[in-house]
Amino acid sequence: MPISVTNSAATSVLLVDDHPMVQDGLTACLSYYPDINIIGTTQDGKSALSQALELKPDVILMDISMPDMNGIDATEIITEQLTSTKVLIFSMHDSLEFVNSAMQAGASGYILKDTGSAEVYAAIKAVASGKIYFSPSIATALADNPQEEEEEKAKLTTREQVILAYIAQGLSNKAVAKMLGISFRTVEAHRRNIKTKLQIESLADLIRYAVNHGLIDS
Amino acid sequence: MILPLRLFYITVIQVILTSIVIFFFISSEYRALSNYNLQTLKTFLMNQKKQELQNYTSLAQAAIKHIHPADKNEKTTQQAAIQNLLNQLLYNGDDGYFFAYDDQGINIAHPKESYRIGKSWWDLEDDNGTKIVQLLISNAKAGGGFLQYQWSKPSSQSTSNKMSYSTYLEEWQWMLGTGVYLDDVNQQLASLQQKIDQYINKTKQIILIISLSSIFIIFLLGLVINLSNKKKADKKINELGQKIVNLQEDQHRHISRELHDGIVQILVSIKYSIEATTIFLKHTKQEKPKPLAEAEKNLSIAIQEVRRISHNLHPRILDELGLSAAIAALAKEFSKQTQIEISFTKPKLRKLLPDNINISLYRVVQESLINIEKHAKATHITIDLAIENKWLTLTITDNGIGFNDKNKNKAGAPLESFGIGLRNLTERIEYHCGQLKVSTSKKGTSISANIPTHVFAYHFNSNAQTNSNKRVLP
Repeated sequence: MPISVTNSAATSVLLVDDHPMVQDGLTACLSYYPDINIIGTTQDGKSALSQALELKPDVILMDISMPDMNGIDATEIITEQLTSTKVLIFSMHDSLEFVNSAMQAGASGYILKDTGSAEVYAAIKAVASGKIYFSPSIATALADNPQEEEEEKAKLTTREQVILAYIAQGLSNKAVAKMLGISFRTVEAHRRNIKTKLQIESLADLIRYAVNHGLIDS
Repeated sequence: MILPLRLFYITVIQVILTSIVIFFFISSEYRALSNYNLQTLKTFLMNQKKQELQNYTSLAQAAIKHIHPADKNEKTTQQAAIQNLLNQLLYNGDDGYFFAYDDQGINIAHPKESYRIGKSWWDLEDDNGTKIVQLLISNAKAGGGFLQYQWSKPSSQSTSNKMSYSTYLEEWQWMLGTGVYLDDVNQQLASLQQKIDQYINKTKQIILIISLSSIFIIFLLGLVINLSNKKKADKKINELGQKIVNLQEDQHRHISRELHDGIVQILVSIKYSIEATTIFLKHTKQEKPKPLAEAEKNLSIAIQEVRRISHNLHPRILDELGLSAAIAALAKEFSKQTQIEISFTKPKLRKLLPDNINISLYRVVQESLINIEKHAKATHITIDLAIENKWLTLTITDNGIGFNDKNKNKAGAPLESFGIGLRNLTERIEYHCGQLKVSTSKKGTSISANIPTHVFAYHFNSNAQTNSNKRVLP
């Protein structure tokens, strides 16, 4: 339920959470902050994509565990297309694996659902201004385990894996771009990243890699 | 299903009965046929002998034809000439000879028993009471005939069955006779009979061998069927077991989701309602009541509790981020609790596995870590998750004491539970067409689960297709 308070200086927020009661509770809390403008709510990853493209919010407050595409995969696709929209993950999950995956997918911050609304507000503001924001407990854990971020960086993201599968099936960059509704250049960039991460140069080796790893049916 | 024993018995009895019936049928047929053949042969042989005797007799008659009885003076000389002639007319070695008697039973000539010459043998009989000479003479007078009786055989000096043909020499009023011993005929027939018996015995043996081998084959077949049935049944039991395990995991996942996505979210929403209330109180310059602060605190505890239960039922991270991330989180948690170091190497790809394989492999790691903590006394664990050459391999290696020694030193209870756990894991992995290998020594234990990529190769791609945002984005 979009709230129609228009404030040009306010930060526009899209709320993505599959539980309406959480949305309501959060909306109630954030309504006390005049410079936050909740412009939309949606309940799953896929509708988050279309809503994001339509509303182009400043910040998306994104849950992870949702039906029909989780928040991390949705984040990756949204940030791929909307460079000005920041995604702030808002989740129950506190393990670093989630945090690193989300950051790798292009999220700008990660806060836990049990954080107070004052912190949620602060996080939204920080992210909107181009900063990275983590809940304090997460920030501590990240600082204690710096190697995990590196490990996560070495892995292919879901999006990269989808593209690798298409390439391995014989699709050209153009066909992949059409298939995923993204630009040719974006596909090329993904392809470069895939090759760098896997340290593979040739197309034949990419196909072999995909088959050998059970990414596609041989 | 196991082949019923009763069916096996019935089949065996059937074979035995059939064999017996076939044996009796064949041997009686055989015997009837051979008896008929023997009879025909005997008649044929006897006829042949009779023909021979008649031929010999006519030869002898022709030989003495030129001698005619003249006056009484010369009779003795002529008689001697005939005797002489008959003495030379021998056949079949010693056993074929001619003899002559006059019509009074007085022997005229006998090449083999010369003591009989000149004496009357009218009343001579054999062991059976056959009046030999009388009957020979009466046969001769009747125009020639055959007589069978007992007589001593020259070649063997023993009494045997003899058949003689006698004819009458009218000129001399004599009976001329010759005979063959029938023991060779009987011998021929007996040896034939023996041969037939041998054939029947051979048939008996063949039928016995056939029926025994049939029974053996039935037995073997039954065994093979039983074994394969048992194998099938075992497989079904295993599959059923895995279905139950899968069902259980599904249920755990379901309950875990209900808790996490349902109750926890409601609790979170309550938390925000309390917070909204707090902010409202602050705005209206009212003090926050203590019980409200208490409720907020307890609510946080409740959220943590329900999340913990949900996580223990089913790790949500497995569904959201895949196996590598779930193992990494598990390993970190484990290290924190036990101070046992874990190094984990993971593949560069994610979300390759369907839920059921994910949870099976996750349970392999979980079970292994629990066992290591309980028994291995290890200080370092390596977990290696890799996909190479179309095989996914998950290996958990520790530097502990292994579990063979434990078996020897202490009562086997911990090992037994470990063994059962291991067997369950093996069954789970085998359900996914994979293998679970365990190697252990004093230097540590290594558990390795291997699953061929073809089992899950369909998964990521089909998932990617359905999750493609083609529909959504322009």
